[in-house]
Amino acid sequence: MADLYPSIAQCAVVATAFKVLLFPAYKSTDFEVHRNWLAITNSLPVQDWYYEKTSEWTLDYPPFFAVFEWILSQFAKVVDPEMLKVYNLEYDSWQTVYFQRSSVIATELVLVYALYLFVQSSPAAFKRPSHAAALSILLSPGLLIIDHIHFQYNGFLYGLLIFSLVLARKKSTTLASGLLFAALLCLKHIYLYLAPAYFVFLLRGYCLGPKSIFHVKFGNAFKLGTGIIAVFGAAFGPFVYWGQIPQLLSRLFPFSRGLCHAYWAPNIWAMYSFTDRVLIYVAPKLGLAVNQDAVNSVTRGLVGDTSFAVLPEITAKMTFILTLFFQVIPLIKLFLDPTWDTFIGAVTLCGYASFLFGWHVHEKAILLVIIPFSLIALKDRRYLGAFRPLAVAGHVSLFPLLFTAAEFPIKTIYTIFWLVLFLVAFDRLAPASNRSRIFLLDRFSLLYIAVSIPLILYCSLLHQMVWGKSFEFLPLMFTSSYSAVGVVGSWVGFLVVFFTS
Amino acid sequence: MVGPSPHRPRRKAKKTTTGNGSEVSSVAPSASSRSSSSSSSAKPAYPLAAFLWPARSSVSKWEILPLILMAVGLFRWAAGLWGYSGFQNPPMHGDYEAQRHWMEITTKLPISQWYFHDLEWWGLDYPPLTAYHSWLLGTIGGLIDPSWFALHTSRGLEDPTLKVFMRATVIVSEYLIYVPAAVILVRRLSKHHGVNTWNAAVALTAILMQPGTILIDHVHFQYNTVMLGLVLASMSSVLAGRFMWSCVFFVLALGFKQMALYYAPAMFAYLLGVCFFPRINVPRFLGIAAVTLATFAILLLPIFLGALYDAHRGVDVRPELFGHPAPLPIFSEHSFKINYSAWYFPIIQQAAQIVHRVFPFARGLFEDKVANFWCALNVIIKLRNYPSELLQQASLLLTLAAITPGCFVIFIRPRKENLPLALATTAWGFFLFSFQVHEKSVLLPLMPMTAVLAGNHGLSKNVRAWVGFANLLAVWTMFPLLQRVDLRIPYFVLSLLWAYLLGLPPTSFSVYHQDGNPSWSGFATTTLHLIFYIIMGIWHLAEAFLLPPHEKPDLWVVINVGVGTIGFGICYLWCLWNLVVGSGLVESSKSEKRKAKTQ
Repeated sequence: MADLYPSIAQCAVVATAFKVLLFPAYKSTDFEVHRNWLAITNSLPVQDWYYEKTSEWTLDYPPFFAVFEWILSQFAKVVDPEMLKVYNLEYDSWQTVYFQRSSVIATELVLVYALYLFVQSSPAAFKRPSHAAALSILLSPGLLIIDHIHFQYNGFLYGLLIFSLVLARKKSTTLASGLLFAALLCLKHIYLYLAPAYFVFLLRGYCLGPKSIFHVKFGNAFKLGTGIIAVFGAAFGPFVYWGQIPQLLSRLFPFSRGLCHAYWAPNIWAMYSFTDRVLIYVAPKLGLAVNQDAVNSVTRGLVGDTSFAVLPEITAKMTFILTLFFQVIPLIKLFLDPTWDTFIGAVTLCGYASFLFGWHVHEKAILLVIIPFSLIALKDRRYLGAFRPLAVAGHVSLFPLLFTAAEFPIKTIYTIFWLVLFLVAFDRLAPASNRSRIFLLDRFSLLYIAVSIPLILYCSLLHQMVWGKSFEFLPLMFTSSYSAVGVVGSWVGFLVVFFTS
Repeated sequence: MVGPSPHRPRRKAKKTTTGNGSEVSSVAPSASSRSSSSSSSAKPAYPLAAFLWPARSSVSKWEILPLILMAVGLFRWAAGLWGYSGFQNPPMHGDYEAQRHWMEITTKLPISQWYFHDLEWWGLDYPPLTAYHSWLLGTIGGLIDPSWFALHTSRGLEDPTLKVFMRATVIVSEYLIYVPAAVILVRRLSKHHGVNTWNAAVALTAILMQPGTILIDHVHFQYNTVMLGLVLASMSSVLAGRFMWSCVFFVLALGFKQMALYYAPAMFAYLLGVCFFPRINVPRFLGIAAVTLATFAILLLPIFLGALYDAHRGVDVRPELFGHPAPLPIFSEHSFKINYSAWYFPIIQQAAQIVHRVFPFARGLFEDKVANFWCALNVIIKLRNYPSELLQQASLLLTLAAITPGCFVIFIRPRKENLPLALATTAWGFFLFSFQVHEKSVLLPLMPMTAVLAGNHGLSKNVRAWVGFANLLAVWTMFPLLQRVDLRIPYFVLSLLWAYLLGLPPTSFSVYHQDGNPSWSGFATTTLHLIFYIIMGIWHLAEAFLLPPHEKPDLWVVINVGVGTIGFGICYLWCLWNLVVGSGLVESSKSEKRKAKTQ
């Protein structure tokens, strides 16, 4: 352990200093969302939490997160009681800003601790790579942009996820890992996307015997079953008792939204939409019909009305089936080989599948792929080869989240700093694979990373200088299409690595 | 499980030059034994060393330098998100408005009016290079949004995009001047002392993360780093033996901000020294003199030519006088001797006005509360009761007394490695005893003193303790200035961060652990520093939670000034002592070399 410098704690201190300096930075509506939740949970009885709608930003996270907000509101009361009034919309006194921003930093300590455990629990030969991977997550530009500027509590939530993944490493703590994940689901339901991997892993590795799948460990199954029921009971039980479940579910799963989010997340549907846009100009020459109503809708990117001019419409059911299909494929391997490394790979691939094929995916969900992948990216050089384009694409795709001039240098320079630092460090730390690497993939990722530089320049500076305020959708479309290529490319690359190792 | 066969890097690792200047015994492990290096017992002595730890071996400076520059740039920009001086503070606003206003007048008015225009509203009172710099920035900014620098109507403008532009101009100016100069200086200084590149990188980061410069330039708002950068360039030219270039850079620094005069005596003494010792070198002396004069001439030429041209086309420098001649601002009693209609009169008029604006002799001994001798003395003796003539003479005498020893030493022993300490000594002397000192001027003595980190034993506990002490004390004396514009949080974050990185109090007391044989000087340093740190800590608590008594509303600031003055006096003595020791004038054994204070 003597050689692991800088330590996680040292990085956390310096990162915290930077994050505190970012207090006055731009904050999105998510800041008001969370302030509103503080107010709701603090000033209303629990029965009203999921019915309150004074603000348009209603409570749409599961009950544990509401409890988390309630706990925070106990401190908020001391800082500035004005922020806890439900009708006090858009309230952002400096006390409120300082309090909410510091609460993000303070709860992120969970992530720091989880990463520490991750390094501790990794085998001696992998300590150095694991340490580098842990630092890359701690200093992730994704978390910086989303949590500390845009405003959310992902550091805390992903901290719990990593904690749970680390617990899955040892047989003795597998049960705790499963229960912690259940609790995480009750904090934010986006992690349902990863649940299939957990299900298969716990089933095969914990409830069934190592030799034969017909050897059921009833004791373990009972412990896990009752534990999970207890966790969910604690979260949803009261609402079942009050008969509020339909209302709660309608808040958690707003299916009325469209296929693509306002900014296209860089997934298959972004490529699909891009192709459709291109086809609008090409289709007449090919003799294809163009739906004129749709021509102006996608570009505006308004939530809920994505429709295609040339290509067939995509329904929620289709996305669901595709997601499940691409999740099941890696899960078969996990079922046959329930080791920790395969488990993390399967979690990553579940994240990929849901991000790439899901309905109304938010670009922030890319963390669902990047963070688990980081844990095994340094396993050998082939993993790293698949990770590289993801690291570039995933973070570049977050740039449109921040569009103010003052934050532009922070998001770009910080991301470049992180990419240079960690891609160079990873390159030195990742051991060579004992299988030959895929030549094409390496060249692809180099070319891909090179393209990002003119792209960022165009989207952030050149476009405005050339076009002014018109064609505002173009930089967004380019960014998400570019990133989509990277994410899909890294997904294909990782699938190959996953199944051949 | 796959065995971790260590991946062999494609590029051959460079061998780092191990010098005697490294504090941590960094046994540079060769690239092939990377896995075995984990068994070495060396470990970083402070967090900044830990951050650069992975770069100890086989990382070229071209990999580490961009990362350092990006990281320090990020901290600068993030700090710039906070408010600037005068933000939402009408009617006069602050330094930010002054700088913006200069961009306005230099881009919108004929050059001959720059130093005359409406002096009540932030009239230009910096030397010409600042004016040209403002003109350049104002021209660029005017292309982006003409309303930012529109004449008269843009006063006190608080457009958030303008703020971004202004912040960017500070960063860009710094990255074009201060940062390259610092990089080159650190490289030359460390090469001169045989310090290895890894230690040089640590020193560079420490210098660039100095809380004082970030807080004043990037948060409070000014362009000090341009002047400081030019002085750094002048220093590194000296290290490279290019004396003419050092004159050029130094004159440019003077031409940007007259505060560079704090360094001038030491610079002059050094350059004079190299002309006299070891043997008299007349050509060098003449060259230096000629280059200095030529640079001054080129610097002033645009203003003078512009004034002649404006006079020729009938543009009046003071339109508000409707053509009536006004006496010169200085030597007014001799004004009658001057022919107001001579062709050369505009030049005399401009020169007199620049001197009058740049050197405000008419103002008092000190303006605000600043941690120098006069302001501290004022607490005990009311200086207002004395004639200002007498005070100015006393100030002149004391300043001369304070700078003479340092200048003398560097003159008779002109060793280039001692230049930073000589500059620091004279700058401390000026800061403590000259008149019209501003609290921000403490950046001047700090800059060369911090540069000592890149020198021999620069990162040793003793030097880190002293340089850290000076820096932390200096930002502490600037706290009243910063908290007036609600900059407490950036103040605490940046100064604590720097203290943390260098392992200094209040985050760590490891610099005061004496390994080996404890010495009396080490013990004295520790006691002295700890007393100051404790006072600073208590002061912060008192300032935050206690109201000063009614009859003494300025009590906290006065205490700050008093403590700061004593501390800076000690820093002055430390610099002077080390300068004397470094020049070899005093025979000293190695252990005494670390001796901090004369008494």
